Amino acid sequence: MSQPEVRPCGDDLVLSLRNITKTYNTGELAVPVLKGISFDIYRGQFVGILGTSGSGKSTMLNILGMLDVPTGGDYTLEGIQVGSLADRDQATIRNQKIGFVFQSFNLFNYLTIEQNIEVPMIYNRVPRRKRRERALELAKIVGLGHRLGHRPNQLSGGECQRVAVARSLSNEPAFLLADEPTGNLDEKTGNEIMKLFHTLNRERRMTIVMVTHNPMFEPHYDKVIRLRDGRLEAGGLGQ
Amino acid sequence: MMLVSDIIELSLQNLRLHKTRSILTSLGVIFGVGSVIAMLSISEGAKRSALSQIEAMGIDKIIVYSKKPPVAGGAVSTGRTSLVERYGLTLRDRKHLADLDNVERITTLRDARKRVMKGQERLDLKLVGADLNFLPDSASMLVQGRWFTPWEFKRPGNVCVIGSNVKRKLFRLGDQEVIGSNIRVETLVLKVIGVLENDNGTNYPELGSPNDMILIPSATSEALFGDYAYSTESGGVKVTMIDYDVLLVKVAELEHIGNTAKRIANYLEKTHAKVKDWDLVVPLDLLKQREATQNIFTIVMSSIAGISLIVGGIGIMNIMLASVFERRKEIGTRRALGAQKSDILFQFLIETVVLTTSGGVLGILLGVGISQVITMYADMPTVYSWWSMAASLLISSLVGVIFGTYPAWQAAQQNPITVLRAE
Repeated sequence: MSQPEVRPCGDDLVLSLRNITKTYNTGELAVPVLKGISFDIYRGQFVGILGTSGSGKSTMLNILGMLDVPTGGDYTLEGIQVGSLADRDQATIRNQKIGFVFQSFNLFNYLTIEQNIEVPMIYNRVPRRKRRERALELAKIVGLGHRLGHRPNQLSGGECQRVAVARSLSNEPAFLLADEPTGNLDEKTGNEIMKLFHTLNRERRMTIVMVTHNPMFEPHYDKVIRLRDGRLEAGGLGQ
Repeated sequence: MMLVSDIIELSLQNLRLHKTRSILTSLGVIFGVGSVIAMLSISEGAKRSALSQIEAMGIDKIIVYSKKPPVAGGAVSTGRTSLVERYGLTLRDRKHLADLDNVERITTLRDARKRVMKGQERLDLKLVGADLNFLPDSASMLVQGRWFTPWEFKRPGNVCVIGSNVKRKLFRLGDQEVIGSNIRVETLVLKVIGVLENDNGTNYPELGSPNDMILIPSATSEALFGDYAYSTESGGVKVTMIDYDVLLVKVAELEHIGNTAKRIANYLEKTHAKVKDWDLVVPLDLLKQREATQNIFTIVMSSIAGISLIVGGIGIMNIMLASVFERRKEIGTRRALGAQKSDILFQFLIETVVLTTSGGVLGILLGVGISQVITMYADMPTVYSWWSMAASLLISSLVGVIFGTYPAWQAAQQNPITVLRAE
């Protein structure tokens, strides 16, 4: 069911999860959401994390995106143990190593497209001129080079998501983390966005982790991780 | 950590997006600062003009003047309708005062109590006998012609120097050649040799402004009228016997002016024990009183301003807290994209400071506008001081820091996971 995995040599390991658990304490009751999850992702892989609601998918996303810390287990990103880092360092790693793409785009309406793309570079203290150049370059990659001066509310949903993809690429992250990136788009536009991800993956060897409940795009993925009830579903991991 | 210039640019962009809301939010600061600037400039203007009036009377002078007693104690009825009044400062007083320590010189003024007429109309002008030093001691300037020569004080003549109002009232508007022409006061014909002007607002008790005086040398006055000033009232003749109306006592050392004034008062109290037909003014004392009142006014004003700025600041804090809630998704996104807590904190803090500071700038403009309008329509002088503007700006920024810190801290504390899911 999963395609043959692209498995390059050892130092191309981007991230690895070992026995990750997450338990939420709601008062006296401890609710285990992730119950020991392990997998590796290599450079250039297009990975889909699939699961129904309640499967622990969102928690998985938060941990991968370093917005949340696991209760137990190890999370290694490009050789760095990131699970136990301080808030400051986590923010820095989010900024430099992870490119977020959200379901509802999360662009800032009061900024132009160019400025939106520049936001992660601002937090990375990239000089103004370099930011401009890079924003233009990225806008061209996603096919919006001519709309840099516009604002998000002048763009269609598909175009907004392209801007968000350009923004996620701005600091040359280790991987893109996309959360239902087609969830707010119609089927045709969704397919176009998938095609964009596909191109980035194939032509630029961008590592992409896509969290979704939509099984339709499965053919795009090099590797599918299925979550059910906080565990990896048997056969969901080609490892 | 982001660059400060980037944060400022960002907050300006965000404020520009919500123009109306930003202006409404900073309304408290705008009106607070505006009223402070307006009131300060009005009070500063009032202070300046009061000070210049007081200064014009002469900071180094004690003005001693004759005052008609409330009940004419010195009046003796001589017949049916005639009345002789004798009161006021005498020759002896002047001689004694001139001998006091610290008195440099005394300039005298005596009103001849003559009616100055133009046709049938009586004008509110005075014929006054003055000393040689009157011109410098009253801080007046000659605008035409010349002042009396010392010789004219030795030999009575028929020359006079007129004040600028006298010229305006007695001569026609176009008349330039007033020097050398004659004016008539009752039976007296005087040749105008000079025109003086006093633009400091000098105003002597009982005598008024030098601009309203027809001045003749004191010697002429004495020779013509002696001790007597006749004035014909309806139905009879009134005789006023008065030596001096005003003595301008110039002191040698300003620091002892208080003592000198006290000694003058002591002396006059003894010699004029029966009725108080004199009084004195020390402009320096008036000045000090004025300054003390001004300081109280400033303190009261600053307290009111402080309260209005606190109220404005609380308003801003409320709006910023609401704004943090409204923009929690933005905060979450920024945190996901790599913003540190401190980045979020500074973003919101600087936004508040930019808001209050621009409110301060608008407030200054408003204040200047208000005082311009007041100057134009109420004819009150206003003076802006740079320090008050700088202080207002600084204080409004400070209001931003004080009332922006809590909302900014709240923003920084938002949990990115929860706020990212917010819609």
